[in-house]
Amino acid sequence: MRVGLSWEFDQSRPPADAWAAVMAEIEAADALGYDSAWVHESRGDAASCPAPAIFLTAAARRANNLLLRITGRTVNHCHPVRLAEEVAVLDLYSRGRAGVAFAAAARQGVPEDHLHETIEFVQAAWSLAEFRYRGEHLRFPAHTPAEAPPGISEPPPAEDYLPQWEWGPATPDFLAITPKPFNPRPPVFIEITGEGTLAWAARHGISPFIPAEVPHERALALLATYRQRLAAAGRSPAEVEPVLERWIHPGAPGDSLILGGSTRDLVVRLRAARVRAGVSHLVWRRTPAQTGRRDQLSQFQSEVQLLLMA
Amino acid sequence: MEFWTGGGLSSRSRVMPGSLLGGYDAYVRDAVEAEALGFDAYGAAEHHFMYDSFMPIPLQALAAAAAATSRIKLQTGAMLQPLYDPIEAAEYAATLDVISNGRASLGLGMGYRPLEFDGLATSKKTRGARLVEAIQVISLATSRDEFSYEGRHYRYDRARLSPTPVQRPIPIWFCGGTSIAGATRAGKAGIPYWIANSTYERTKLMTGEYRRIGREAGWPESQLKVAAFKDVCIGATIPEAEAQRQYLLDAFYDEHILGYGYLVDDQGNHLYNLSKDHPIYRRFVDSIFCGTLDMVIEELKRYEDLGIDAVYMGGDRRFLAEKILPEFRRN
Repeated sequence: MRVGLSWEFDQSRPPADAWAAVMAEIEAADALGYDSAWVHESRGDAASCPAPAIFLTAAARRANNLLLRITGRTVNHCHPVRLAEEVAVLDLYSRGRAGVAFAAAARQGVPEDHLHETIEFVQAAWSLAEFRYRGEHLRFPAHTPAEAPPGISEPPPAEDYLPQWEWGPATPDFLAITPKPFNPRPPVFIEITGEGTLAWAARHGISPFIPAEVPHERALALLATYRQRLAAAGRSPAEVEPVLERWIHPGAPGDSLILGGSTRDLVVRLRAARVRAGVSHLVWRRTPAQTGRRDQLSQFQSEVQLLLMA
Repeated sequence: MEFWTGGGLSSRSRVMPGSLLGGYDAYVRDAVEAEALGFDAYGAAEHHFMYDSFMPIPLQALAAAAAATSRIKLQTGAMLQPLYDPIEAAEYAATLDVISNGRASLGLGMGYRPLEFDGLATSKKTRGARLVEAIQVISLATSRDEFSYEGRHYRYDRARLSPTPVQRPIPIWFCGGTSIAGATRAGKAGIPYWIANSTYERTKLMTGEYRRIGREAGWPESQLKVAAFKDVCIGATIPEAEAQRQYLLDAFYDEHILGYGYLVDDQGNHLYNLSKDHPIYRRFVDSIFCGTLDMVIEELKRYEDLGIDAVYMGGDRRFLAEKILPEFRRN
C-alpha cells in the first residue's frame, strides 16, 4: 500500500507562513520515503489554495520523488483546455509524477455528465493529436457544429497538410492541445462520496478517491461496491488505484472519521481496508496542529508503513 | 531603470533541437542565473495549441522558478488575460505571490491568435475592453478583502479572493503592443504600460501619448509607468550585429511574427504571411536594435532619459549583466 499526505492549510497564520509549513513538510515527506503529496483545491479563506497545480509545480522542484496529486479539482472554474494543460505542465516539471482527482459532481454543483465529459476530454487532450469534442457541456474548438459526431472525433485522412504557421486567420476544425505530459496517461481519480459516480467510474476504469469527510465504514463499503462494479464491467483491479484519505491520530482515540489507536491498531485497520475494499493508496490528511511534526511522520513511516508492507 | 529578462519555454526550435524537459529545466536554471546576475525580474509568456509545445500557463512556469529563487520578481509577459476569467487569473496570480513570498507581477496582454480564442471559447472581438476591465478586477481582488465591480463584461458582488496575496495589490502592466489603441487604453485607465519591441522614435511617441492621455484622465504621474521590450543584437561591428539579428529572425521571430497575425496595419487589421519586404515587417525588423556595445549602451541611455522604468531584454544574460547593467547601476 502506498502512503501519502494531504493538508489542511492553517488559517490562523499568514498565508505565506501556512503554505511554507506545508512546503517544508512536503520536503520532509520526500526525504522520509512517503509516496505522494495531495493538495486540495479550496476557496473561501485567506490561506485557501484555489490553484493546486501552481502550488505543486513549485513543490516539484523541492521534492524529487513524491507523486504530486491535485485533488478536489473543480470543472467550472476554468476551461477544460486549461485543466489538461495544467496537469501536463505539472507532469513535465515533475518528470511524470502528476495526477489529478476531480471533486464529486454533487460537491461542485454540476451535473454528473459535465464531470464525465471533462474527464473524457482531458484524457483525449493528453493522448491525441488534432481532435474535436462535442458534448452537452463542452465544444472544442468552440465553433464545432451541432452536427459533429458526439464525443471525440479526429480529422479524416488527408494527403496534404498546411503547417500551423501558414493557417492564417482560419480557425481549424481540429486542434491539438500542447504540451503533452511526460507520462502519456497521467492518473485520473474521481472523488466518490456516494453511489452516483461510482458506477460510471468503475465502467470507465477511473480510480476512486474517498475523501476524509466520508466515515470509515461508509468509505470501505463504497470501495467494496466499486470493486464489484469494476468486475462487472470486465475490468481488472490492477487497472485502478483506489485511494482512501483519512485523518489519522496515532496514539490517540479514534472515531468514525478519525483513525486512531496504537501502531498495531492502525496496521490492523489499514490492512483490513486493503483486503476488504482494495485500498491501494492511503492518504493521511494532516491537520494544522500535525503539520511540521517531523517526528510523527518519521515514526509513522518506520512503524505503520513498514508493517503495512510486511 | 530596471532590467528584466526571461527564458525560453518551448522546444523544437528550428535551429536548436532539444527535449521539452530539457527546455523546462533550463528555464528554471536560467531564473537562478538571472537572479544571481542582478536582473530585477524574470519573465514567462503564454501561447496555446502550439506545435512547439509553448508554455500555456506562464504563472505555472514561474512557480517552478519561484521554488529555485528568493529575490527576483516573477513577471508574466505577456499573459493572455482575455483567455481567462479575471478571478481565475487573480487566483493563479495570488497563488504564485504567496508561494514566492510577494514576488509576482503581471504583464497582461490581449492576445491576437484566432485559434487561441476559438480553442478556449472566448470572443476575440471584445478582448481590448475585457483586458482593461479584467485588470481593474484583478487589482481590486488582490488589494481588498471584499470587492464589488460593475463593468460591461464582468460583474462581481461582494466577492473575495483566496488566497490573500502578500502584495496588495499585485503589480500589473498592460502589454499594449505598439499600437496607439493600446497606449490609449492603458493611459485612460491609468495602468502601467509595457510597449512591445519598437524603435526609439516609436517608443518616444507612444510613451508621450500614453503619459499625455493618462495625465488628462487625471492619473498621478507616479502611476504612469512605462516598460519596454527591447531586443538588442551586439557585435564588434554593425554587420556582425545585423548577422545576429538575422539569425534571431530566422530561428524564432519570422515564424511567430509572420505566421500568426502579430503584425497589424494602421487600421488595426492583423496581417498574415507577409513578404519580407513589406514595410510593416521591415518596421519590426528595425525595432531590433543592432550595434556595438557602446551604441547599445547609448541607445539604452536614451530610454533611461525618456523615463522608461524597465527594459525587458533577451539574449546573452551574462554578457548583458557584465557589460551593460553596471553602466546603469553606478549611482
